[in-house]
Amino acid sequence: MLRRSVLTAAFAILVGVLAPALPAAAAADPAAMISTLGSRALEVLGKGATQAQRTERFRELLREDFDVPGIARFVLGRYWNTATEEQRAEYVKLFEDYIAMAYATRLAEYTGETFKVTGSRPDADGAIVSSQIVRPGGAAPVKVDWRLTGRNGVYKISDVAVDGISMAVTQRSEFASVIQHNGGQVQGLITMLRQKTSGNGAR
Amino acid sequence: MTKFSFLRCALLDLTVVSALILGGCAASNTEQQVATYEEEFNDPLENVNRKIFDFNQFVDRNAIVPVAKAYRAALPDPVRDSLRDFLNNLREPLVFVNDTLQGQFKRAGETMGRFVINSTIGIGGVVDVAGRWGVPYHEEDLGLTLGAWGVPEGPYLVVPILGPSTPRDLGGQVAEGFGDPWNNIVTGNPWTLYWIPFVRGGVSGIDTRSRYIETLADIERTSLDYYATIRSLYRQRRTALIRHEQEENLPPKAGFTRREDRGTPSTVARSAVGPGVVSEH
Repeated sequence: MLRRSVLTAAFAILVGVLAPALPAAAAADPAAMISTLGSRALEVLGKGATQAQRTERFRELLREDFDVPGIARFVLGRYWNTATEEQRAEYVKLFEDYIAMAYATRLAEYTGETFKVTGSRPDADGAIVSSQIVRPGGAAPVKVDWRLTGRNGVYKISDVAVDGISMAVTQRSEFASVIQHNGGQVQGLITMLRQKTSGNGAR
Repeated sequence: MTKFSFLRCALLDLTVVSALILGGCAASNTEQQVATYEEEFNDPLENVNRKIFDFNQFVDRNAIVPVAKAYRAALPDPVRDSLRDFLNNLREPLVFVNDTLQGQFKRAGETMGRFVINSTIGIGGVVDVAGRWGVPYHEEDLGLTLGAWGVPEGPYLVVPILGPSTPRDLGGQVAEGFGDPWNNIVTGNPWTLYWIPFVRGGVSGIDTRSRYIETLADIERTSLDYYATIRSLYRQRRTALIRHEQEENLPPKAGFTRREDRGTPSTVARSAVGPGVVSEH
């Protein structure tokens, strides 16, 4: 189950990110925004795309539909406060590279499943949209929940949770561990992110 | 079988090993408060856990994954799905007990219905008829029941071969090993077939592992700290299972403070006073 969740967590994020964004729809209705994202993603998700294409497509969609700077900052947690301006700037850039690299590689497995939005409700900062990935063979559907932050009528995704596993929380926990194993220095994380995203580290 | 536990059933009978591990956790509780970050991750045994994790990774790479690949290559999809349905069906009596212990009577009823239908129309559980009719299998175990009752999970543990756990989850697993009706039937008089629970656990573990070969390899490859990632995934998943599916299954919004603190000096200064104290949990 956990492994399934890991898999589907990756999927949810990928689904969201892959689909071409429709800012007009997004502004009006968070549920419609996620619905469009999911459905378009299933069309776009093909085994045909190369790794590089996926990463690039993914990055564009991250920028369009996700609050990348906000997520990056949340993920860094309290260490944001100890980072210098230069470190923050480099970290946010590397974070985007890293997410694009890490999650784009998990794309190819998720074709041929059905995505549907099951609910939406307003939340303090925006909205929470619930959705499902319906799987064949009578297996329980995978629950995918999206946290959207609204600002001036425009919604951006700030977290995705698949079967209760949050991408932002997972990333935050991992990064905190990395920093603490580097003597509490954000620079240690930045160095590792550089290596991972430079190509040789990602192997 | 729950997620990460590999050969979970097999371990259930290894009470000596389990007792050692549980003893180990009990001792560690006193060390829990030593350092701030250990409180955050609740992983006071991290050094030992990481060594066991490395060992598990070695076994995984060199034995488990090769077997899982061979298994996946040898048996077609429908056969493996039937085997999974059969193993799930064997779990239903304990799932039912746990549903009931949690006071989840609707879920208990679903589990009972699934077990009856799949054991009969579904030919001993090899066809998940109830799932096709819209009542899918759901997971429950004693660790989750204890969690629902408010028992804390305790410090993170990495168990040899079985992987991520906690004292609560491991204790639940051991107890379920003794309580499992099928294990009791095959190991009681006149059968005394002690190997069967091990085979069941082994097959279940291999089947589960075979479904995540690429996914886990990919997460390992892209992670900065694979150990920390798995630790977080395990904890979040267990917590979500305890919550069931009340409304949406999104974690509480702890720490999403950026609305008010878009880097203005005053908020940075304020949060610097107590960095992460509120937002970590």
